[in-house]
Amino acid sequence: MPGGLVATEATGRRIGIAARLPIRKIILWVLSILIIVGVILGSRATLQEGAYSAANWRDFVILGVAQGSLYALIAMGYTLVYGILFMINFAHGEVFMAGAFTSFFLARPLAESGFLNSNPVIAIGVLILFSILISVVTAVLLERIAYRPLRGAPRLVPLITAIGASLFLQNTFRGFFGARVRGYPIPEALRGRWDIFGLPILRTQFLAIVGAALLVVALYYLITRTRTGRSMRAVGEDKEIAALMGINVDRVIVTTFVIGGGLAGAAGVLWALVAQQVNFFMGFFPGIKAFTAAVLGGIGNVVGAAVGGLILGVLESVAPFLLLEGAGVPSVNQIKDAVAFTVLVLVLIFRPGGILGSAEEEKA
Amino acid sequence: MAVATATRRARIEEFDTTPESMMRRAIKAGLIGGGAAVYLCLVGIVPRFDEREVISGLLNLGRTILILTVLATGYLAARPAKVLPGQPEPPAPKAGVGLTAGLVSGAIAGFLTAVLLLLGDAIPMRNVFVAVTDRLLDILAFGQNVWLGALLQILFAAGLALVASGVHLLRPALRSAFLTGLVTVLMASLFSTIIDQILTGTGEYVRLQFLDDTGWLYDGDALTVFGTILLFVVAGALAYSRATRGSLIKRRMEAVPEAQRTTVKLIAFALIAAFLLVLPHIAGRFISDVLGTIGIYILLGLGLNIVVGFAGLLDLGYVAFFAIGAYATAMLTSPSAFTEGPLTFWAALPVVVVITTFCGILIGAPVLRLRGDYLAIVTLGFGEIVRVLVISEWLRPWTGGAQGILSIPDPNIGISLPLIGGPELDTPQELYYVILAFCVLAVFVSYRLQDSRLGRAWVALREDEQVAEAMGISIIKTKLMAFALGAAVGSFGGMFFAAKIGSVFPNSMVLLVSILVLALIVLGGMGSIPGVIVGAIVLVGLPEILREFVEYRLLVYGAVLVAIMILRPEGLFPSARRRRELHEEEIEEAQFEARHGETTGAPVVTAGGSEDVR
Repeated sequence: MPGGLVATEATGRRIGIAARLPIRKIILWVLSILIIVGVILGSRATLQEGAYSAANWRDFVILGVAQGSLYALIAMGYTLVYGILFMINFAHGEVFMAGAFTSFFLARPLAESGFLNSNPVIAIGVLILFSILISVVTAVLLERIAYRPLRGAPRLVPLITAIGASLFLQNTFRGFFGARVRGYPIPEALRGRWDIFGLPILRTQFLAIVGAALLVVALYYLITRTRTGRSMRAVGEDKEIAALMGINVDRVIVTTFVIGGGLAGAAGVLWALVAQQVNFFMGFFPGIKAFTAAVLGGIGNVVGAAVGGLILGVLESVAPFLLLEGAGVPSVNQIKDAVAFTVLVLVLIFRPGGILGSAEEEKA
Repeated sequence: MAVATATRRARIEEFDTTPESMMRRAIKAGLIGGGAAVYLCLVGIVPRFDEREVISGLLNLGRTILILTVLATGYLAARPAKVLPGQPEPPAPKAGVGLTAGLVSGAIAGFLTAVLLLLGDAIPMRNVFVAVTDRLLDILAFGQNVWLGALLQILFAAGLALVASGVHLLRPALRSAFLTGLVTVLMASLFSTIIDQILTGTGEYVRLQFLDDTGWLYDGDALTVFGTILLFVVAGALAYSRATRGSLIKRRMEAVPEAQRTTVKLIAFALIAAFLLVLPHIAGRFISDVLGTIGIYILLGLGLNIVVGFAGLLDLGYVAFFAIGAYATAMLTSPSAFTEGPLTFWAALPVVVVITTFCGILIGAPVLRLRGDYLAIVTLGFGEIVRVLVISEWLRPWTGGAQGILSIPDPNIGISLPLIGGPELDTPQELYYVILAFCVLAVFVSYRLQDSRLGRAWVALREDEQVAEAMGISIIKTKLMAFALGAAVGSFGGMFFAAKIGSVFPNSMVLLVSILVLALIVLGGMGSIPGVIVGAIVLVGLPEILREFVEYRLLVYGAVLVAIMILRPEGLFPSARRRRELHEEEIEEAQFEARHGETTGAPVVTAGGSEDVR
């Protein structure tokens, strides 16, 4: 990128006015002004209208935080793999789906036998472990079969493979378990709300937030303090040198997929408890949104992914109501998905390094 | 490097001819093959496809798939060791070793399916795996009781794999005859609808009884036993003579003097053109309709090929241009849309192209500076934003929301020819010609672009942006041109889609379209124009004709993307340049070997790279 800038300036005189008024900059400026004006006008109109009470907004934010902490958990998988292999593991959303969807077939007998209600803690623990197991196996197979043969290939090749793998996994599980949506059983202990510091929070959402927070902290400890974490960072820095230092690069890469898959598997059960349903397509949008979260926080950065997940979750649950409702847009809920994509597009255009990264970091 | 050593170790094994390593490979092949067979059963392909017959009264498609899996297992298990470049050919393994390898691999594969059968019988697997129906168990058990079925399953698989491994013992000419015969029979059966239709159509034209009535070849959808044997023998004989005496066409072509070869090529082109022109008449309404759909995807593929193949910008939101083209056409021409005086299709055409091109620039401009994989994700985001907007209540007055826009007129030219009073351009056959014309135009434009100054700038850009810029190529202009031209070509696809269906719905504008178009480019070979056409025929045409296939088309697209990228990243019909790029390293490696291999006594392992694509 810096090289690119130099070249433009050097040849600027010959290119003439077109280079001095770069069309891209103009479009970006117009775009950012439009967005800022839109945000201000929309929120003012909504707040003046007063269609939502303070309690409504509080619920939106809590929902956003719960959703966001799960995005954060899934985003870890993207960010870890990107930090080490520099590839977008597009199929990571499917790894998440694999665990959640498969765990339904354990949750159903648990619920039918009454075990889920009588021992909710053990049951949920078992479900999470089972989901983690399935997700880890999926992630490791994915790495072994689809990604390892392509290490060192031109950058777009593994991305296209990942897209293919995503489609393949989705439809494999559709073939295995059928296309219909399954209602995920919720133990009685997790129905209703808890008062946390005076805030009434849905119990499942509370579980999601706490579970995600614990796991992210554990991951942070693993990356920064342990030997495994150090070798992961070393491989991310330079594979050849790491290999020379006696690190088994293959094993570290598999470990990365195991950790990412495990977190996605845990997120799968938490997600299923919050959403109360699972199906074969459930991984696709959370996957893209978690990727957005990772990019938003600065991809390759664990803390960034956590922050990005929370911001995206809250934005997604608040923004459609706050910005668009006032602008007279009907049925804003339909546009919810577009929020995440707009955030993704804007972040990548304006600050590809993410919030916690430097502005120019990801241009190399 | 640790990574390299691991792969190399794996490679050495492939070159080892000792019986022990053959056995290890056989066991591995058996496990993989059996795993694949179990997967095909669990995912539902086997029971679903079994509803179709391949050979009338004898063989159904589900069982055929299992048989093919086992055949492939045996064939791969007994594959003789590869010959290294520059190394003396290893002594041929004894026939017994190969056959045993085949037998063992088949028995293992059969054992795995037998386990599935026993499990499926013992526990109610159906509660979890929806495809494990009684029908599947019945197929696996050959209609016998479970234990006998399981035994038969192992014996049957072992026997088939033994036959497949025996193929290696045949002379190359016979082997190719055998394989060609097998493939021909399979193809003839799968495409029975279209082949039958074409034969009958031709038969009516030339009044040949045996073409008009194809009862000797087909019974419903399936081949007759007589037809199967006939096809197998004829195709096998042709392949045999081709392999022993060289290709007839090639020999004739070589006999023709240099100066006249162009003429021969022209004649070939004229024949293809004539075939394409009469095709809808002999093929009938349904196939013309399918051909029209293929044509639309060829247009989309050629458009995306400019962006992805030529300029190397991975655009995952290509559906956006398809959607914009289709919706713009609908909004301008449909009387039910908001416009006061709807335009005719042809009056709307230039407007739509301008709108879409403008959108291409608009979407392209902000993302120009992004690196490859980020660009892919941003364009994916754009595609989804377009879809969400189109379906939303918000834009409903213009786009019709979830109901879409109806009653889009046919692309009538508005003139009436004196004798035949048409063309109305409202039947699939007539529309086929219009789409064909635009496809030809797009192919022509693509070829001209490829070698133009702009085309070469795209290649330079794809290779190295900074070097290209240093060479005086304007990155911004070149990339924008790629987006604009790609969008313009794609908009034709959208327009004909709108005109052909007569309505547009947001449900047709999904991410899947982007991925399908990408898959067909990847299958044919990125940057390859014939590749786009072949890709469209295979990935769009096949599911239309093979209705059983429809449920699993996404699965297959995914598998195609992964398999092509791993096994043959340049695609099936690569452009010469792309092939060179992707194999550069290996060619260099081979050259290095050729120069230094013998003098330094280079270790066996380094030459391993010449066989597989990494």
